[in-house]
Amino acid sequence: MSKQYLTAHTVDQAHPAEIFSLSPTPTSLFSASGSSALHIHSTIDPSFPIQQVIPGVHKLGCHHVVTARDGVGNTAASVGFGGEVKIWTRKDTGWELHWEVTPAKSNGGDVWAVALSTDEGYLACTTSDGRIHVWDIAGREIIQTYETGGGGGAGSFAMAVDLSRDGKLTASGHANGAVYVFNNDAGRLAYSLSGLTKPVRTVSFSPGCRKLAAAGNAGIIAIYDMANGEHVGNLSTPSDRPAWITSLDWNDSGEYLLSGSLDGKVKVWDVIRGVCVATHSETDGALWCVRWLTKNERALAPGMSRGEMFCAAGASRSISFYREATGT
Amino acid sequence: MSVPALPQALVPIPRDDSGGAALSQIEALLESILDAISNGVELTIPYRTARSARGEDRGCRVVRFPGRTAQEAERFEAIFRIIELSHEALVSGNLITKRNIYYQNIDIFKSQAVVDDIVDNLALTLGVGRGDLNIVAASKALISGDIEFMMRSGAVVHCGLSRDSGVLLPSINSLDKIDFRAAQWLLVIEKEATFRTLAASQFTHNCRAGQGVIITAKGFPDLATRRFLCSISSLRPELRLFALVDFDPYGIAILRTYQNGSKRLGHEDDVTVPHMRWLGIRSRDIISHIPTIFDDLPVASHVTKSQSSQELSSQESLAYSEVDPRFEIGRPAKRRRVENTRDPSDSILLLTQGDRKKALDLMNDICARDEIDLEARDLLQELQRMLMMDTKAEIQAVDDFGNITDWLDEKLGELCLQ
Repeated sequence: MSKQYLTAHTVDQAHPAEIFSLSPTPTSLFSASGSSALHIHSTIDPSFPIQQVIPGVHKLGCHHVVTARDGVGNTAASVGFGGEVKIWTRKDTGWELHWEVTPAKSNGGDVWAVALSTDEGYLACTTSDGRIHVWDIAGREIIQTYETGGGGGAGSFAMAVDLSRDGKLTASGHANGAVYVFNNDAGRLAYSLSGLTKPVRTVSFSPGCRKLAAAGNAGIIAIYDMANGEHVGNLSTPSDRPAWITSLDWNDSGEYLLSGSLDGKVKVWDVIRGVCVATHSETDGALWCVRWLTKNERALAPGMSRGEMFCAAGASRSISFYREATGT
Repeated sequence: MSVPALPQALVPIPRDDSGGAALSQIEALLESILDAISNGVELTIPYRTARSARGEDRGCRVVRFPGRTAQEAERFEAIFRIIELSHEALVSGNLITKRNIYYQNIDIFKSQAVVDDIVDNLALTLGVGRGDLNIVAASKALISGDIEFMMRSGAVVHCGLSRDSGVLLPSINSLDKIDFRAAQWLLVIEKEATFRTLAASQFTHNCRAGQGVIITAKGFPDLATRRFLCSISSLRPELRLFALVDFDPYGIAILRTYQNGSKRLGHEDDVTVPHMRWLGIRSRDIISHIPTIFDDLPVASHVTKSQSSQELSSQESLAYSEVDPRFEIGRPAKRRRVENTRDPSDSILLLTQGDRKKALDLMNDICARDEIDLEARDLLQELQRMLMMDTKAEIQAVDDFGNITDWLDEKLGELCLQ
């Protein structure tokens, strides 16, 4: 019934400040922290060595770094506390700055959360006044703006955003507990989802784009059906004290959800059965981000399975990598 | 309880002799004006202006009489009046408050702000501190604790007597000696309400970390309070200084004003206490309180509290049927809340756009310095966390239904041992 995950490796003190965001490509993992540098770790080596350090990227620290889910892994975007967005591209020699959106160019409101489309062509950015701008990266222009506050940017702070892998939907999570889903083809609101009444810190579409998971200060994970916008269930562990959930991520098959929370717990949920199948709480302090690694074709090291791996980071400034236990 | 012996609890306050420099400068200035009168030429007063809080900066370097406009003549009169009053105060050795200057000359100074600006600009022009002109602001700060002030006038003020309200903090220049007795720490509190509660409960006497003193400047500190703290921190280095401020950008700005001074009054010397430690409240205090405030965080207006708790227990459309044991535990606590008017969750709120902007300004200010030391890194991290959590909290967030003493005992104990 339960699954077992073991710590595969820990990168101790990966950053000199707490780590706010992680994002994988097929062969690497970006990490961003309260310090100004971006780090890129190799995920095809069992010791997860540093591949590249880009110094001085965000002077006041970086709170979000994203790559495309299921993407080829040639584009990344990072957002600094100063509100600046930087787009990165992978060259033979490593990652290079491609383009920067300064706060003045981002059309009002500070950019907070970002999401990159699977084809790496579009970037959705939320603002503190509740709008979602969708940028065309090649054209360097905003091609769509979704208002959530009745226009004029009076909406509630948009803390989270996601793009579905088929590119059809955009979801946003807000400080007032609202979750909105927009239809990108029609360019308008598809669903306004109820169920969470407290700040929503993370929203995530399932790989098949049929479900949306949302969570935050309520301490539960709400699951919505994208065919009709219905709230189809909640994931929670009644025996635990609830904690603010900061991060969610679906595995590639869409069967499992990974969650991280401020009480330092990382959990794996079986979505179909609605139960938590694994809990780890060995990190010291708050977790800000948890992510599945892109599945590898071969085992990382002798004795390791080809199973899925995930990673977690936060206040401890270290990155913990977990793998599924085999042979039991 | 044994109190560790402290050296020389009675500390004399050195007489401020820098007034002599100010006096000779002011006399030179008066002389030059007298010369101009006897020679029948235009009267001038050199006058620099610091960029004021309202962003005005006329940049005039000299004020003339009779001047080019009626306004300039009036300005000359106002400045001259303050020079005259300062001279009088310096010669007699008395202190004069800015409030008195205004109320005794309402026709000359149209508002208190005019007096405040001129005094600060005059000090800037002469290159002295405001206190060197023997002009002080009537302090708005309150102090409470088992310490005694011996005033230069001969009066003795005991700060522990007026228990529930504390006593007004006197100007450091008016003090002859301070008897610190057994005080080991001094805690500056942002909120006057918290100060009054602690004063009334005699926390300074009963604190488990040893005896101490509490001060509140009611928000952003005035110059008199900052100068007082700076003086006693150098006269009594054994005394540990702490600050208790809200977990919001303004609380952190207040802490930084004590530690590093303010921009507008950057020309004032001896008004900072870089060694002041940040007692709280911090992000970890809030994170550790989240379970108890969990049920009462602000909810969207269209959902009532009972609905939101039902939703947790009834919407289990997925897998489980057990009753959430949290609600069993939750009940007695809720009854207790009804009895108490103060609910800690009232003190935890989402950030506003203004808060986020202010936090960003502070972060930019911290990062603009050449050297980011441990203290600055700590502040930066707390501001980043504040933005990430999108949460601010008042001091009351950590109290136990109005009683903050347990929390303070613990924190002061931790930090005093270091």
